[in-house]
Amino acid sequence: MEAIINLTINGLATGMLVFLLAAGLTLIFGLMDVLNFAHGGLFAWGAYAGVWSYGQTGSFVAGIITALITGLILGLLMEKFIVTPVYGNHVQQILITLGVMIVLSEMLKVVWGPNQLSAKTPEYLSGSWEFGGVILIKYRLFIIFIGFLVFFLIYYILKNTKIGLIVRAGVINKEMVQSLGINIKRIFMLVFMVGAAMAALGGVLLGPYSGQIYAEMGMEFAILAFIVVVIGGMGSITGSLFAAILVGLSGSFMAYYVPELSLAVNMLLMAVVLIFRPQGLFGAKG
Amino acid sequence: MQRGEEMKLLTGSSKANIIYIAAAVFLLCYPFINDTRSILILFTQIFIFAVFAMSYDILLGFTGIVSFGHAMFFGIGAYSTGILLDRFEPTVPIFLLSIIVGMILAAILSYVVGLLSLRLKSHFYAMLTLAFSGLFLVAAEKWRSLTRGNDGFTFRIPDVFKDRMTLYFITLFLMIVVFLVLKRFTESPLGRVLQAIRENEPRTESLGYNVIHYKIIASIVAGVIASVSGSMYVLTLRFVNTSVFALDVTLDALLMTIIGGVGTLVGAIIGAGLIEFAHHWLTGLAKVHWIFERWMIFFGILYILAVMFFPMGIVGTVKSWFYKRKGTNKTKDVDKEKIAG
Repeated sequence: MEAIINLTINGLATGMLVFLLAAGLTLIFGLMDVLNFAHGGLFAWGAYAGVWSYGQTGSFVAGIITALITGLILGLLMEKFIVTPVYGNHVQQILITLGVMIVLSEMLKVVWGPNQLSAKTPEYLSGSWEFGGVILIKYRLFIIFIGFLVFFLIYYILKNTKIGLIVRAGVINKEMVQSLGINIKRIFMLVFMVGAAMAALGGVLLGPYSGQIYAEMGMEFAILAFIVVVIGGMGSITGSLFAAILVGLSGSFMAYYVPELSLAVNMLLMAVVLIFRPQGLFGAKG
Repeated sequence: MQRGEEMKLLTGSSKANIIYIAAAVFLLCYPFINDTRSILILFTQIFIFAVFAMSYDILLGFTGIVSFGHAMFFGIGAYSTGILLDRFEPTVPIFLLSIIVGMILAAILSYVVGLLSLRLKSHFYAMLTLAFSGLFLVAAEKWRSLTRGNDGFTFRIPDVFKDRMTLYFITLFLMIVVFLVLKRFTESPLGRVLQAIRENEPRTESLGYNVIHYKIIASIVAGVIASVSGSMYVLTLRFVNTSVFALDVTLDALLMTIIGGVGTLVGAIIGAGLIEFAHHWLTGLAKVHWIFERWMIFFGILYILAVMFFPMGIVGTVKSWFYKRKGTNKTKDVDKEKIAG
C-alpha cells in the first residue's frame, strides 16, 4: 500500500513536470502550427537559470521568478527571430527549431560549464508528512500542487477571458480571427512566451526534485513531452494533462516493478494511440 | 520543379561527370601521395559519414521527410557488426553476414516506424523518430548482457581490415558505389515520384500515387544504407558503445546534408567532408581557447543561418548560380532542356 501511494505521488509529480512542458508545446502547436523542437532547451535554461539564481540569493522564489523571466525572454527572442521568419514552412520550422535546441544546450554549457549543477530543496519544502505509516514528501506534493494550479489557471484564462477566447478562436481558424481586426501576431508571440515560461518553470521545479540538473535533461523531458502531446492530442490542454499523468504514472510504476520496460511502455502507449486514434485521445483534428 | 531541372541540367551534363571522375581519381591516388595515419583515418571517417549523409538525403532532400531518428539505423548496423564479430570468429564472411543482418533489421524497423507514422503530418514523423531513437539509446544502455551498456566493448576484426590503407579504399569504394546506386535510384521513375511528393504531396496523391507506399520505400532505402554505414563505422573503430544511437549522430547527418545542399547527394558528400574536417580542426583548437571545445555552437549557428538564408546549401547555391549564368548566356539551351526534362 505504502509503495503504491508513494509511486502514485512520484508519478504524479513527474507527470506534472512533463505537463508543464507539454502544455506549452500543445498550445503553440494548436495556435501557430509550429512544433517547437527547442522546447526542451527552454526547459533546461529555466532549470539552470533558476537553480543558479536560487544558489546566489538563497531564495527559491527568486529562482522560480528568474526561471520564468528567462523563459519569457527566450520565448520572445525565439518567436521574433527564429520562428516568424520561417512561418508557414513546416520542414524549415522543424529543422530550425532543432538547430535552436543545439545552440541552447551548447550555450548552457558555455555559461554554466559542462558539469551538472546540484540543487537543494528549500527548507520549508523539504521533509515529509506522515499519515498512518504513509510518508508524503512535501516537495513532490508541492510540484503536484503547482502543476494543477497552472492547469486551472490556463484553463480559466482560456475559457473565461477575452484573450482566451481569441486564442481558442485562433486554434480553430486564425485567418478569420485576423479578419475580425485582431492582431494575431501579437497573440502568437504572447502564447509562445507563455509556453516558454511554463517550460522554464518545469525546469526549475525539477532541480530540487532530482537533486541535480544537466544539459541533456532538456532533450529527455522533451521526448516525454512529445509522447504526451501525441497521446493527449495536439492543441488540447486537458488532453495534455491526462496524458502527462498517464505517462508519469506508468513511468513510475514500471520503473519500480519492471524497470527495463519503463520507456518502452510509453512508446507502446503512443503506438497504440497512433494506430487507433491518430488525432490523440482529446484531439479534435488529425 | 525548378530544382529538378537544374539537376538534370548539371548532373546529366558531361561537365559535372568530369568533375566527379576527377575527384574520384584524386581520392584514389591520394593515399600514395600522403599516407599519414591521421589523414587516412580522417578520410575513412569522411567516406563513411558521406554514405550516412547520402542515405539521409534520400529522406530529407528527395522525399521531403524530416527524420530525427536516423541514428537508430546507424546504431543497428553498428551493433550488428560489433556483436557478431565479438561472439563469433572475426572473419570476412561473418563481417559480411553482420552487414546483411543489420540491413535486414534496419529494413524491418524502418518499415514498422514508417507504417506507424508516415501517414501523419511531417511533425509527427520528426517527433516519433526522435522518440524511437531515444528508446533505442535507452535500450542499448539497459540491455547490458547484449551491449555492455554505455562502456561498450572492443572486438577483433578480420585481419584484412587491419590495414588503414585497405580500409581507406574499401570505404571510398563503398561511397562511390552508394553514390552511383542512389543516383540511379533517384533518377528512376520511383525516384521521380519521391521528388513529386517533396514538391507537392496532395497533387501527387491526386494523380493516383499511393504516397505512403512510396514514402515507406524511401525510408527503407535510407534505413538500410544508414545501417551499412554504421557497420563500417564500428569496423574502423573496432569498438562500439551506445553513442552510435545518440542524437548527435542524427544531427551530424542533418548538418552535412543541409550545409552541403539537400537533394543533391554530392552535397551530402561535400557536407560530410566539411563537417568532419572542421570537427577535426576545431577539436585541435580546443587547446588554444576553451570555446572551441564547444564547437557544436558554431555548427548550430551555421545550421540555423543555412536553414534560414541558404536553404539550398553549398551545392544547391552553386548550381542555381551556374544555372542562372547559363540561363542568361544560352537561353535556347535551357529551353531545350526544359522540354526534354
